[in-house]
Amino acid sequence: MTQVSTGSEADCMEETFHHCCQLLLQQSEQLRDGWSWESVQGSQVGYLKKTVLRSVDINLSSVWDQVGSSSDSGSHSVCHQQQQEKSALVASYDADSIKEDITDDDGGFCAVSKDSRKVLQYEYHILYSCSYSTPVLYFRAFTLEGRSLSLEEVWSSVHPNFRIRLQNSPLNTITQQEHPLLGQPFFMLHPCKTEEFMRPVLQLAQDQNRPVNYVLTWLSVPSLTQQPQAKLMLQFFASHSQVAVPMRKLKKCRAP
Amino acid sequence: MASDTSGAATSSVADLKLQFAPFSSALEAGFWHQLTQKKLNDYRLDESPKCIKGYYYNGDPVGLPTRLTLEFSAFDADGPTPAHCCPAIGTLYNTNTLDAFKTSDKKALLEKESKEIWDDIQSGAALKDPSILSRFILLTFADLKKYHFYYWFCFPALCFPEAIKIIQQPSVLEQVFSAKQIAALQEAYDDLAIKRETSAVPYFLMKYTDDTVQLAPLGDWDTFFTDTKKVTVGVYDPCTLSQHPGWPLRNLLILLAYQWGSKLDTVEVLCFRDRTLQGSRSIQHSLIFQVKLPELPNNSACPKSVGWEKNPKGAMGPRMVNLSECMDPKRLAESSVDLNLKLMRWRLVPSLDLDKVVSTKCLLLGAGTLGCNVARTLMGWGVRHITFVDNANISYSNPVRQPLYEFEDCLGGGKSKAMAAVDRLNKIFPGVISKGYNMSIPMPGHPVSFSPATQAQAQRDVEQLEKLISEHDVVFLLMDTRESRWLPTVIAGSKRKLVMNAALGFDTFVVMRHGLKQPPVSQNVSAGADSSPSCSSASSSSSTPAGSAPSVPASSLFSNIPGHKLGCYFCNDVVAPGDSTRDRTLDQQCTVSRPGLAMIAGALAVEMMVSILQHSEGGYAVASSSDDRMNEPPTSLGLVPHQIRGFLARFDNVLPASLAFDKCTACSPTSTNGRSEPQVAVWLVVSSIVNCWSTNVYEQGGGK
Repeated sequence: MTQVSTGSEADCMEETFHHCCQLLLQQSEQLRDGWSWESVQGSQVGYLKKTVLRSVDINLSSVWDQVGSSSDSGSHSVCHQQQQEKSALVASYDADSIKEDITDDDGGFCAVSKDSRKVLQYEYHILYSCSYSTPVLYFRAFTLEGRSLSLEEVWSSVHPNFRIRLQNSPLNTITQQEHPLLGQPFFMLHPCKTEEFMRPVLQLAQDQNRPVNYVLTWLSVPSLTQQPQAKLMLQFFASHSQVAVPMRKLKKCRAP
Repeated sequence: MASDTSGAATSSVADLKLQFAPFSSALEAGFWHQLTQKKLNDYRLDESPKCIKGYYYNGDPVGLPTRLTLEFSAFDADGPTPAHCCPAIGTLYNTNTLDAFKTSDKKALLEKESKEIWDDIQSGAALKDPSILSRFILLTFADLKKYHFYYWFCFPALCFPEAIKIIQQPSVLEQVFSAKQIAALQEAYDDLAIKRETSAVPYFLMKYTDDTVQLAPLGDWDTFFTDTKKVTVGVYDPCTLSQHPGWPLRNLLILLAYQWGSKLDTVEVLCFRDRTLQGSRSIQHSLIFQVKLPELPNNSACPKSVGWEKNPKGAMGPRMVNLSECMDPKRLAESSVDLNLKLMRWRLVPSLDLDKVVSTKCLLLGAGTLGCNVARTLMGWGVRHITFVDNANISYSNPVRQPLYEFEDCLGGGKSKAMAAVDRLNKIFPGVISKGYNMSIPMPGHPVSFSPATQAQAQRDVEQLEKLISEHDVVFLLMDTRESRWLPTVIAGSKRKLVMNAALGFDTFVVMRHGLKQPPVSQNVSAGADSSPSCSSASSSSSTPAGSAPSVPASSLFSNIPGHKLGCYFCNDVVAPGDSTRDRTLDQQCTVSRPGLAMIAGALAVEMMVSILQHSEGGYAVASSSDDRMNEPPTSLGLVPHQIRGFLARFDNVLPASLAFDKCTACSPTSTNGRSEPQVAVWLVVSSIVNCWSTNVYEQGGGK
């Protein structure tokens, strides 16, 4: 198990994590990649955060049904979802029925704008897990109204080719968890396999005497980067040697 | 952009009017969580306006709507703005009722906010800090019972009395500026930002030559511009349309008209757009155009204003978002439990069919030590339908061993176990569908008095039990006596329901599945074609062939026994079930066992059920035994044994398999009088129990 292997090369100590995050932030600022450090008020504890927007050309509910009927979810939750959709419809009718005397009298100053409801916001948080001694990815996706998507809906927003590959990937271990610092529900890429897939990468880097930024490398592992946020990581990956520090240096930060 | 084509088509017309792309509200999921917290802990019934904060960004890729974003940090009005974003000040009106939300005077709210902008323009405050030109109103009602959030944004914009004429069409900056000028502009902008100690400047003044670009804050107008015939102003522009500026320009143009309108001939506007793609930054897609500002009326009255956001249907109206799925704790518990189980599938057992497990309806006969532990393990597997049958009340000795009960449950004579167990399951996981039946299971050998009332009650109990077994998929026998397991064994057998049986000694236990008789229709066919090994009884030394299956010499007597030939709990008995508590000393009656035993046996009973459910043949699966190697397990989870017999003294389990006994008092055709029709069979059993209660027909009939 991962917990037992403290001290192995594939570990990432908390100090190392913070150090790597700082380097990553510096480079993100250069590249304007949008990563920021959010700290909990009055403490050192915090997390890396990034929000990405994407237009999706899909009707969420209909794609969802397909996903649901294929294999991924039990029939009971399909039912649930449909109820959910129904109640949302009924309720939105409620909001519509609120008649207003506000007129749209803008004298033609207002440009026609596209229907913006098909834009999804993806929020990524990177936290440090003490139990696993690794970074952990938390994420959620939501509409412009701020409604979080179910995991099935998130999957339906991923291109089908990717979806199949990712869903078969052993690294793709997504669960639902309250955010340790915010207490809000997030999806989490379970860290149980992190050490396992980081070990060969780090070993190789060490053999070649290449510098490694643990957090960056972790973010660049293929199955991670094929998450919807994907491409941004590749940018980092391409240039990560600029910010990376030798692993040996980082090791000095470790507790004896 | 498709919506821009109208602009290009009418470009020949001289008096082209300037149009602005309105803001779309964008809320992060965390915003609603935070509003909920504020409402519950802070605002409560306070409806007074609150200062909040949003931001907008000028670096979006083409195709995204012009957004004003509110994060969960929106309530911290003095907090930092994200890098390279411009802040917008907002006023939150959170009403206590939907009615107040509906009836609040939107016109007045807008006028009030516009007046503040107008005052800031007149006083010159907006010159010093132009970010106060970008304001918004957010009207909300949070229905925290349903987790429905009603909201309506307003982005107040002051209006000119007539249209703003375009003198020079909007062009992309790179068509107007040289590469050198663009580079100089970018540098000047960054310098200005550093000077202003920010990473985004909402509005600025601009002068340029062929090689140089100079920028200055809005307040430096008088010193910066010497010639006001043509001035250039820059606006941080969140819009991505190629023909239109975004909303923030509107109030700036009003400010310019108010402050310097009479002196200005034309105004050149730079819509500053600054995006970074793949790590390379560009501003050359910024827009530049010239307009002629209409005159504002001479009086100092606040101009007319607009700004309430349209709903998704394009009509003037509020929006509603239903967040029950991500906020209702019960829904969250359900999706978390499901996802956690799926994690197991993704991580370890890709072929695991969780739906089969989750949708299984389980009937637990007995809600004592075994019943409690079985229920908890079932919940761990995400099983939703769990029904309890027990006739006892909770006593003081129970809670320490029966994890669904507490001390409080014992008071006042004790609650009914079946009912208390249901309550507890709902507390542990509200997604469970659980029912309790406080009833006795009629037992042979335990005569009831022959009063018509008790007979009728026994009859009703039998009927109820029969009904319950019909309604469930798996029946767990978890009672504390042997004989109470007899009737459910007979009924479940006739209905072809999988029976999981767990029984405890002091430091030994047996967990087993009962053989599942083949469906009556296909019985003859498959029995005839069957060539499996000898069906001799496992317990008796005689080699009496069982059933009608042909006897074939076999290499191993107890291997490869198919599910339909497996024995039941009573097959190994040499006596019929009777009153096991009669004529016993006190310590013999007592069902004391080592405390860990029930947990082990209860858990094993559920785990065995799950493994059986994963087998393609379910209860008909060939029994695995201790000799089976794990290199080719019959299911993704491993073996499907017939029995697990555990010996705690040796900390050892064995997996025996045994054949059905053709004279078994519970599962042989004799015990159901040879009838294949389940209904008839059960009815006969029922009536014989009730009528021949203590006549021992089964003890005599079964074994002879």
